[in-house]
Amino acid sequence: MQTSMKRTLEALGSLKLAVVGMVLLMLLVGACTLAQVRLGIYGAVAVYIRTFLVWVRVPGTALSVPVFPGGGFVGLLLIVNMTASLVTRWSAGRLKPGLALTHIGVILLLAGEFQTAFRAHESSLSIEVGQTLDYTEATRRTELAIEEGKAPAAHGTKAEATPAGKPLATISERDLARGGELALPGLPVSLKVLRFLRNGHLVMQKEAAAGAIVVTAGSGRKLTVVELPAATSDDEPETPVAYVEAVAGGKSLGVWLVSPVLGPQVLEAGGRKLALSMHPERVWMPFTLTLKHFSHDVYPGTDIPRNFSSLVRLVDAERHEDRDVLIWMNHPLRYRGLTFYQASYGKGDTLSVLQVVRNPGWILPYLSCLIVTVGMAWHFLLRLAAARRDP
Amino acid sequence: MSALLKKHLAWLAPVLIALWVAGSLRAPKRADGADIAGFAALPVLHEGRVKPLDTVARSSLLALRGKQTIPVRGRTVGAAEWLLDMNARPGVADTYEVFGIDSPDVLGAAGLGPTDRRRFSMKELQPGLPELGSQAEQADAVPARERSRFQVAILGLNSRFMTYRGLQNSLAPGDTADYPGEIAAYAKVLGPGIKALHAHRTGAGIDRKALSALGGYFRRYQYMAESAPFRALPPRDGDPADAWENAGEGLIEGMQTGEIHPHVAVFAGLLDAWKRGDAKAFNAGLGEYRRWLADHAPKAARAAVAEVLFNRAQPFYAGMVIYVLALLLGFAAWLVWPETLRLTAFRLMALAWGIHTAGLAFRIILQGRPPVTNLYSSAVFVGWASVGLGLELERRFRNGLGTVVGALIGFVTLIIAHHLAAQGDSMEMMRAVLDSNFWLATHVVTITIGYAATYLAGVLAIAYILRGTLTRSLDEAQAAALSGMVYGIVAFALFFSFIGTVLGGIWADQSWGRFWGWDPKENGALLIVLWMAVILHARNRYVSDRVIMVMAVFGNVITSLSWFGVNMLGIGLHSYGFMDRAFLWLSVFVASQLAVMGLGLMPLHRWRSRLPGEPGPSPFLPER
Repeated sequence: MQTSMKRTLEALGSLKLAVVGMVLLMLLVGACTLAQVRLGIYGAVAVYIRTFLVWVRVPGTALSVPVFPGGGFVGLLLIVNMTASLVTRWSAGRLKPGLALTHIGVILLLAGEFQTAFRAHESSLSIEVGQTLDYTEATRRTELAIEEGKAPAAHGTKAEATPAGKPLATISERDLARGGELALPGLPVSLKVLRFLRNGHLVMQKEAAAGAIVVTAGSGRKLTVVELPAATSDDEPETPVAYVEAVAGGKSLGVWLVSPVLGPQVLEAGGRKLALSMHPERVWMPFTLTLKHFSHDVYPGTDIPRNFSSLVRLVDAERHEDRDVLIWMNHPLRYRGLTFYQASYGKGDTLSVLQVVRNPGWILPYLSCLIVTVGMAWHFLLRLAAARRDP
Repeated sequence: MSALLKKHLAWLAPVLIALWVAGSLRAPKRADGADIAGFAALPVLHEGRVKPLDTVARSSLLALRGKQTIPVRGRTVGAAEWLLDMNARPGVADTYEVFGIDSPDVLGAAGLGPTDRRRFSMKELQPGLPELGSQAEQADAVPARERSRFQVAILGLNSRFMTYRGLQNSLAPGDTADYPGEIAAYAKVLGPGIKALHAHRTGAGIDRKALSALGGYFRRYQYMAESAPFRALPPRDGDPADAWENAGEGLIEGMQTGEIHPHVAVFAGLLDAWKRGDAKAFNAGLGEYRRWLADHAPKAARAAVAEVLFNRAQPFYAGMVIYVLALLLGFAAWLVWPETLRLTAFRLMALAWGIHTAGLAFRIILQGRPPVTNLYSSAVFVGWASVGLGLELERRFRNGLGTVVGALIGFVTLIIAHHLAAQGDSMEMMRAVLDSNFWLATHVVTITIGYAATYLAGVLAIAYILRGTLTRSLDEAQAAALSGMVYGIVAFALFFSFIGTVLGGIWADQSWGRFWGWDPKENGALLIVLWMAVILHARNRYVSDRVIMVMAVFGNVITSLSWFGVNMLGIGLHSYGFMDRAFLWLSVFVASQLAVMGLGLMPLHRWRSRLPGEPGPSPFLPER
């Protein structure tokens, strides 16, 4: 091996760099924990951990500058450091098997966290007894859906006997935030997003304020929006709001105010009735789940929950599955790459909330735990034996 | 004399103390011969668990006044007797000083100032109740995070009033003059009352007199049924095993079935006998009821008797006291009689550890759970594991350090546990998500052993720094031995805390689909793992022993913040209980550790012990 390459590898794999990387990670983890009081877990993780750089806004400007390496950077640094160290020690013939295993396991663990950050997807499924659903809802993303316009169902009644079916078109949160006019293939209208707020509060107003966007159609007339800061705690709900203008044949059909709290609103274009509704982004499943029964036990004479369980019917026409499944604490349902966990409940024990996770690399931490345990036990026991032989 | 003592101390001291502990298992004899110990062992259902009245009484009294007994005119009233008086002789119980009030502002609001006393009776507080009630109402309207110290204190007192009232209505109506008489009178109006109720429902006319007689009782017993914190009436034959009822429910049952729950009368008889001071009748009634329990609810009755023994022995308290003794003897051994005192201290610590182990085993068996289920038991277990490691160190190195360090951690963790116990019964039921013996046994136990080991390493490092900087007693060989011990224990801590942390992630993946959520508790555990790893990697080449010791002391800070600090953030899925005063103690502890670290960072030539010089001025040396 060339000496320069060897030297580079040695520098990358040095113990000094390992210590620096671990201390940086400790600082990030500490900062992330303290920031959770202010930003909530989700926000704090986004700022410190799931990022390559930690950005700070310069006071008084809109300018952000990186001030510290983020979790992604430090994670990569540690992976590179351990790999380089393994390679140099191995080529020098002084790689101890216990330590090798330990570090391979830790590399796997870090790789698993990267994998989760990029590929895992979390959503939730709120289902009432008797309801059948074929989609789950993303926890923190919204979408605008255009569906076949029916007579609007009474607001608040959610328990449908049949699955909803996919909408004609959807506009993702990213497109909403970007704004501008969006063509809707196959539909006689296009939508122009005039304004999108991630979190807003709807209030009645008597007269339109000067310069404000005027809502001319749908149930949002006479309403205006007060922008709210992003939610700081994870269970504090956010209400996204958008002003959209429907355009057909170069002509405006009106401006609608859409938000999950307003329910579906009908718009007519080219002789078709379409319904606009904003709701959490839906993730469609190739099968349906029906909640048959939910039970919630407490210890006698207390409110301490003893167990929750949901009895669901799983129907998958493609794979000819039609069976009952019981989902309860620490006993999730794993099916077609999705895992359903009992998370919460509501509405006098008739609503069950399941957490739904797609994580293709879920096995990595299990492997890593095994490998590191064996590796560390091997190494430390050898050291202990050596110390006993010659104290 | 001195020589004789020196010769025999090492076995005499442990034996005498063991005898003292064994003596505490016996129930104290009473002059009137009343079987209070038997009453204390009656099983009841409280917070979802069947436990003896003794446990309910002790944990309630601890929450009210901060102690498990009350001094009354030169004698000591135990918790069970207090609960008996609360129901049989409420007027007498109201004169016991059971409300601990520390806040001078609350004393002022209650109209009690100026006084040096800190504990008051219900009778003394009675005149101030309306004012305290309206203050509590005002404080309750303020969001929890924005309350002032006074408001928090007033709400705390108010909730203790509710507990007190509930306890006073748990076996008998709190204001009854003659309980058996009242039940007899109630039984008399029951028949006509039920008939009138039935007639009213079917429209066959209204018997106002019978209805209002029944209504009066109903309101009275309804209040009892709603406020009683525990259920004393066991299921009858044929009832499901958890169908316990409280006295109010048992009385109201008469209005539904025409028959009052049979055990209402049993308790009425006991309370009446106690009130009349008739110990013989009390013992007879109690004996009959306990024979019934032994036949019909043998498991509950046996478990209750065992738990009363556990309560009386207070193994963790006894352990705490003996650890202090061991610690003091361990220190003394550095001054006089080194070998005798070292051995005595070691044996005392072993004895305390035996008692500690017995207490832990008892909890495991009684609860049917692994040793760590909540913050309280984590403190007990951290202490247990540290002392175990300390014993092993002492056995191997025989230099007194293992004893001193182990006894110190054992003592401190048991003190912490003692204070956490004041928050209520320490064997509460497990919430659904935590209800998994497998994960409690693997994840929680491993990670707690990791905590114990980081403390042990940290305290050994403190010993190194303090002896090195403040005394001349640390020589090169001892320094090397200490540094070897610290290295071994840090490796041990890394092993357990890493496995414990990852197992926690796997449990999280099993229960809510997320291996790692960056939750404060998880982050705290990760910080411990990272810091132990940093120490091991730094020790390899760059850093002198002195700096490694300073780093090990910092491990104490990180572990304490992870163990207690994150509970004070009050967020995250793992947060279990907010503690105000604990915050102060945590700050004091962290400050003390930082001070020791500062001491350790002094350059070696200013240390009082002469250690071989370090190979360079900076901790980061060029790689060889």
